[in-house]
Amino acid sequence: MVQLPWLLLLLPLATAALIHFALGGSGRLAAWTGTASAFGMLGLSVSLLVGATAEASPFVWLETGMFHPDLEQAITLSLKTDRLALSMMLVVTIVGALVHLFSLTYMAEDKARPRYYAGLSLFLFSMTGIVLAGNLFMMFIFWELVGLSSYLLIGHWFTKKSAAEASKKAFLTNRIGDFGFLVGILLIWGAFGTVDFNALERRVDLGNLPLTGGLLTAGILCLFAGAVGKSAQFPLHVWLPDAMEGPTPVSALIHAATMVAAGVYMLVRISFLIALDPTAAMTIAWIGGGTALLAALLATQQDDIKRVLAYSTLSQLGYMVMAVGLLASQAAYFHLFTHAFFKALLFLGAGAVIYCCHHEQNIWKMGGLAKRMPLTFATFAIGTACLIAVPYVTSGFYSKEAILDSAYAASRPLFWIAAFVALLTAFYMTRLVVVAFLGKARSQYARDAVEAPTPMAFALTCLTLLSIVGGFRFFAEAILPRGFYPTFDSPHHNFVMAVSIICLLAGVVASFLLYRGREKDPLHITPLRRGLYIDDLYTGLIRLFQDGAAAVAAAFDRHILNGFFLGGTAALTQAVGSVFRRMQPGSLHFYLVLAALGIMLLIWATSTV
Amino acid sequence: MSPHYLEIFVIGLALTLLMADAFFPAREKRVIAWIGASGLAIVFGLLFVVDPAALPPDTIAPYYSADPHALFFKGLALIATIFVLLLGCDFMPVLRRGINGADNDRKGGVAESFILPLFACAGMMWMASATDLIFLFLSLELVTISFYVLVASMRRQVGSLEAGVKYLLLGALSTGMLVYGITWVFGATGMTKMSQLAVAVPGMTDNIAALTFGSMLVLAALAFKVGLFPFHSWIPDVYQGAPTPVTAFLAVASKAAAVLVLARFLDPFLNNPEIAAKLIPVLGVISGATLLFGNLGALGQYNFKRLMAYSSIAHAGFLLLGILGRDFTLVSFYLGAYVCMTLAAFFAISIVRRSVGRDDLSAFNGLARRNPALAFTLVVSAASLAGVPLTAGFIGKFGVLMGAVNAGYWPLVAVAVPAAAVGFYYYFKIVRHMFWEKPDDLEPLPVGRLSTTALALLTAGTLVLGFYPRLLERAIQDAPIVPIPAATANTADTP
Repeated sequence: MVQLPWLLLLLPLATAALIHFALGGSGRLAAWTGTASAFGMLGLSVSLLVGATAEASPFVWLETGMFHPDLEQAITLSLKTDRLALSMMLVVTIVGALVHLFSLTYMAEDKARPRYYAGLSLFLFSMTGIVLAGNLFMMFIFWELVGLSSYLLIGHWFTKKSAAEASKKAFLTNRIGDFGFLVGILLIWGAFGTVDFNALERRVDLGNLPLTGGLLTAGILCLFAGAVGKSAQFPLHVWLPDAMEGPTPVSALIHAATMVAAGVYMLVRISFLIALDPTAAMTIAWIGGGTALLAALLATQQDDIKRVLAYSTLSQLGYMVMAVGLLASQAAYFHLFTHAFFKALLFLGAGAVIYCCHHEQNIWKMGGLAKRMPLTFATFAIGTACLIAVPYVTSGFYSKEAILDSAYAASRPLFWIAAFVALLTAFYMTRLVVVAFLGKARSQYARDAVEAPTPMAFALTCLTLLSIVGGFRFFAEAILPRGFYPTFDSPHHNFVMAVSIICLLAGVVASFLLYRGREKDPLHITPLRRGLYIDDLYTGLIRLFQDGAAAVAAAFDRHILNGFFLGGTAALTQAVGSVFRRMQPGSLHFYLVLAALGIMLLIWATSTV
Repeated sequence: MSPHYLEIFVIGLALTLLMADAFFPAREKRVIAWIGASGLAIVFGLLFVVDPAALPPDTIAPYYSADPHALFFKGLALIATIFVLLLGCDFMPVLRRGINGADNDRKGGVAESFILPLFACAGMMWMASATDLIFLFLSLELVTISFYVLVASMRRQVGSLEAGVKYLLLGALSTGMLVYGITWVFGATGMTKMSQLAVAVPGMTDNIAALTFGSMLVLAALAFKVGLFPFHSWIPDVYQGAPTPVTAFLAVASKAAAVLVLARFLDPFLNNPEIAAKLIPVLGVISGATLLFGNLGALGQYNFKRLMAYSSIAHAGFLLLGILGRDFTLVSFYLGAYVCMTLAAFFAISIVRRSVGRDDLSAFNGLARRNPALAFTLVVSAASLAGVPLTAGFIGKFGVLMGAVNAGYWPLVAVAVPAAAVGFYYYFKIVRHMFWEKPDDLEPLPVGRLSTTALALLTAGTLVLGFYPRLLERAIQDAPIVPIPAATANTADTP
């Protein structure tokens, strides 16, 4: 009997292999195969969610020996199919399927479609692995695999230098975080003797932890480092804006809805550990809040439609991480859930705009698109409304309220930061809509734009519906794990809501007044345009340290190794070589003597007398 | 069906082919290799059909066992022989030149290169099953004598002849020691059956000196076959001089069978505390010295076959380490991995030799540009020989080292780990030649369909076993290394 969770995991892998090895010649076939497989995954995850048997027997991959009697001896691939995993799978497969559909048109002209669809399927495989992982080892394996597939997809147009650079940057930046993640996993493994989520949770419930104090903080923060890389939190956030070099559907799937949310998902998975250590939790919360603020500030000055959205993703991920740190992981996960839909919607909307404007991405060269692309405009506007949290009718409102509520209860400074971020969000998103869609067309491409073709429009409409209902109780409660839907019954709820509505109005009105009818950006804040020079700082640091280290190494090589040792080493190698040559002269007599000596030695060494 | 038919089939096949070639010489000798390989493939299939519990007739039963280890090593011998025959097909032009010189009209002599491996294969299968020292000696001699001929078969080449003479003389010495050692063991215990030795030796307290003396002689003889220091000295010369398929056969199958025999022979002695106290340090020193000698000796080699010879010595050191760890499943896995990766390397050597005409490392210059697929398989093979994770070789080394760690042989681990690290240097020298050195000519290097298939299988095996080692789980069972049949355990027929 095939177990459905395993099928769900292996279907995309099989698809990727099929496309890569068999369908390399036919873009159309690859596209349809990939899309069919994505919809198949959607069907599987829906059936699992509505109650098909989600049982999956673990698969022991490698058994190690007895280095340490308390440690788990095997690396197991086990699937955890609780409601958290299944609801996340639903998000991944819905967005995945719609992105495949969208790509049918978006990538229709591309020369390397098989590679693209193989990459998407590989990504879906890796992402499914992360979501269903029953232990940290398995999660780490797939964690690396999403890194790989993200690398391949960002660099899909690898002949473009910026795309190749961006994919490399994304991969290397993620490696830094992953290194921390691995250290964290090993720490947890060494201390608890297991990395299985269920077993860990049982250990924590029993109390009497093997890891306390600074070591526990370090362990949690090391695990968190993985999320910092994958979910692009400060200080490793620099890769995400550059990752927008990839095809837009990829940005929607990987760099908005799913992979970047994997960090938050992992944090929600280990929230029982985070709750043990207030220091680590507070650090996580402040990094999240800081990222939210930083990214929102940077987003206000971007001209590239995708970069605005990328910074906005960073900022929203910051919200989620902050909520996890404030021990409100339910709110964080709820925001992840709603955000996935409306951010995918916004990205695909941007993709439709870019597609119809002949790959123009600068919003100042657009304008007036509302009239030419009414459906795209309507869906984009609804997505924006969700993102800036228009009260009551949008999903973003409910999830953001949940986060603000918990922030107010846990930490006032972070609450005010979050509120200010909400204001900034309203500001930059209104700017984006006003500049790109309203006013007059400012380029020939914008004047010639026509409405998006049917598959794109269909994907946009589906996501619009989900973006609206995603926050409603009847829908979200049916999918989210029990108790994750917020109750909104705290005493300060009305105050929080008032603040957030004021922020929303202030942001929208200010932006509308500032940007309506403008031909070019009235604000020009260079530090914000240049990402607060963080990238330049990193470049400088790398230059300083790497080039410095290289100079030292070169000097060492030239003067000490080459001058002193190399002559010595060469002589040594030759000497060793000649010793062995002398032991191997090819003379039979010598071999016989050697053997006889060997026998005598053996007998002498073991003689009892 | 009783398992003893397997060897009878192989011998029957070999005799039939020998007669057929004598009386109805085939125009195309390739046919013989094909029939031989297909016959062995059928026998390999039968390996899964035979019933290990079925008792052979009484005349054979006392000498023969079909325990899980024996079956696994029979499989290994069969696979190795099949691949060696295929390798021989591909190598035939060189063989023919070596056997008949420049005279292209003479066709004789090539068929034996395909028939003798069948005899050796049967011998190795018997070695795997032998439970009596006399029977063991006979089957070992069947293997060795077949190899004497095979090594020297390229009689127009001085290298091959020299290798043949060296192998013959040193092999004869080792045979002498084996018989002499068996005599002493028999003299001390009155037994030649391993199952009886396994029961009697661990508790023995008198005649220890004689017993140890005999066992040391047998150890020396088997160390010759496995290639352990200081009895390894024939290996570089013989490996370099012998025809490549024979070298591959020696390196893979002969070594594997000898390792099983060595482990079986040593087991009772390691279980006797008094002997073990002396034996373990000696074996440890041998293993460490072999590791050092093999790995350091390989550093300066410029001939690929000679490099593989030192590599084979180094691997012998690891195998002895595994035997010392007393977990034979690890050794079995190591050998399974070793068969895949070493055969792949020899296939590559023979392909390059055929078209470039040399086996120097420089013959592999720029192979990545001349034939990327072949270069890739050789990279996988070299990586596995060196022990890069996710290849079979890594799992093998890891298992053996872990066995040593668990047994507490820390000094040996301290030798083995640097030795393995040194291995990276010379194995990746091959990679460097293929990828970074400029080739003499850029002509694409053709590979026959047969070799392509064989290489694909071997590379896949190396990778799959590295990725999912448990695949061999069913083949490698944890059973007592010396099979003790219930019937013989209580009928000790001491004369």
